[in-house]
Amino acid sequence: MTRNSRVFLSIVFWAFVVYLFVPLALMILMGFKDSKFIGFPIQSWTLDWYLGVFEDTDVIGTFFYSLAIAVASTAISVVMGTWLAVLLTGRRFLGRGAVYALMILPALVPGIISAIAFRIYARQLGIEPGMGAIIWAHAVHNVPFVTLVVMARLSTQPKSYAEAARDLGADPLVTFVRVTLPYLKPAIIGASVFCLLLSFDDFVRSFFLGSYQPTLPVLIFSKLRSGMSPEINAISTIALVLTAVLGIWAERSSRRMNKEN
Amino acid sequence: MADPRDPIVRLDGISKRFGKTTALHELHLSIAPGEFVTFLGPSGCGKSTTLRLLGGFEKTDSGRILLEGKDVTALPPNKRNVNMVFQDYAIFPHMTVAQNMAFGLELKGLDRAAIDRRLNEIMSFLELEPFAGRYASQLSGGQRQRVALARALAPDPALLLLDEPLGALDAKLRGQVQIELKAIQRQTHKTFFFVTHDQDEALTMSDRIVVMNAGRVEQDGTPEELYFRPATRFVAEFIGETNLIDGTVRGIDRDRSEVVMDWRGIELRGQAPAGVPAAGQDVTASLRLERLSFHEGRPDTPNAVRGRIVNRTFLGSRMAVDLQVEDVSGARLRAFTDHDTTSRVGDAPVWIGWDSASLAVLTS
Repeated sequence: MTRNSRVFLSIVFWAFVVYLFVPLALMILMGFKDSKFIGFPIQSWTLDWYLGVFEDTDVIGTFFYSLAIAVASTAISVVMGTWLAVLLTGRRFLGRGAVYALMILPALVPGIISAIAFRIYARQLGIEPGMGAIIWAHAVHNVPFVTLVVMARLSTQPKSYAEAARDLGADPLVTFVRVTLPYLKPAIIGASVFCLLLSFDDFVRSFFLGSYQPTLPVLIFSKLRSGMSPEINAISTIALVLTAVLGIWAERSSRRMNKEN
Repeated sequence: MADPRDPIVRLDGISKRFGKTTALHELHLSIAPGEFVTFLGPSGCGKSTTLRLLGGFEKTDSGRILLEGKDVTALPPNKRNVNMVFQDYAIFPHMTVAQNMAFGLELKGLDRAAIDRRLNEIMSFLELEPFAGRYASQLSGGQRQRVALARALAPDPALLLLDEPLGALDAKLRGQVQIELKAIQRQTHKTFFFVTHDQDEALTMSDRIVVMNAGRVEQDGTPEELYFRPATRFVAEFIGETNLIDGTVRGIDRDRSEVVMDWRGIELRGQAPAGVPAAGQDVTASLRLERLSFHEGRPDTPNAVRGRIVNRTFLGSRMAVDLQVEDVSGARLRAFTDHDTTSRVGDAPVWIGWDSASLAVLTS
């Protein structure tokens, strides 16, 4: 690489960083401003908005509501997605291509369309809007991500591992539980964290399928409608820190596990 | 109770096809208890297919597999009293060495005390104690091979399958492991079914070698038989280095059970271990390089030709020389000899002799 192109690339890179992080930095900064009006200049600083968030039972309740949805939908997606990955990686069967295409589809359908479709379908089935409906929609949407990540890992497993387990007396189920599943662990952990974040972050499906109890993104949205307030910045910052920590932890631990194997 | 001389394994005309290719064609074979049998051949000869059929990883198209007298043809791998050392060792990466070895014992339903006892036994036998708590990623190639062997031996199988287990080791280590493996087999009295494409491995370790080619058995015998009395051209060429001599049968000397053949006007006497040819038939005979001796005068061996050294290759412990045979245009022989003989002979004409047992007349 020539010197010029290296300089050019580093300029592009730093421009990208600024583009990505300045809005976040502004958002975080405003959460510490001692005034209801968002904007510069910041004359005095305060932690009151944060204290307010922790005292607001509405926000706390909503946080745990969102968390419960994320955990439940992730559990379903991981089981379904892993099962599909094993099915699609194993021996060939008629219609495997079709199953693969159908499996991918939920990840490709635009959120708004799938949300409306879910809403109509739920009504047809008589499913009440609320927690169950949101979990259902999130689980379906997240399955492809699990399947793709687990399939990628599964394809790197030497065929001889499962054969060695069978050879030593394990039936197919024991082989899966004691040999294949541990091998898939890093992929499953990574996929789980990704699903948790996707669900926690989702607005469209939660909005269309929710009842009176909002999820966190829906709550933030409704608070916005009654006017911008630094309290929203504080809530968003807390959510940002939590998701970033979880994401970085998952990345590091799955990389460590990959290295061990 | 079965007779101890009853075969451990009997293959009753097993065949296997993959699509249009026949991987194995009606293989009949018996393996005696405690035998070290090697299936030797190039890739695609059917040796690995036989191994995988024995392990239960493939289904036979026809024929039966009997293990300790019981028909196991339809049984899955986990229901067969057979264990395998895989080519890539397949040591479970998330388990320690001890956990890997305990895996088969746990599935046999042994209690903890019995498992520990067996683990200690096998680990001290294979000197694996220092590695018990390690993972595969913390072991060298040789250590992995040993762990894979220990894991397969631990459940005390009737038959141990070994799928080219030395292929991943470097040349120096391989020689050492060959001797070790043979010693382990002798001490455990286990029946080993070893698959390789490496003739040195086969010759060093086996009690018996089955040479495979294109899904069929070419020859089945001891290493010595295969080396000195190959039945077919394929075996003669696949194992060791040899001179192939094309000629015509003049007749059969019944008294000495020798085949008399004509090699471009020179009369040669050989033996036909795998079937006597008819007079007038075109045949090929195999002559091992180290069976040729050099003489100043005509030797009293049944076979003697005059020749001249035209090329020499120094191989360290010995010399390989190419000889131009006199009076036969274009006829060449290759021989192993020592350094002194080569320098003594120089470029002068010399007599070359060999006995009739060294010349194996092949069936095809």
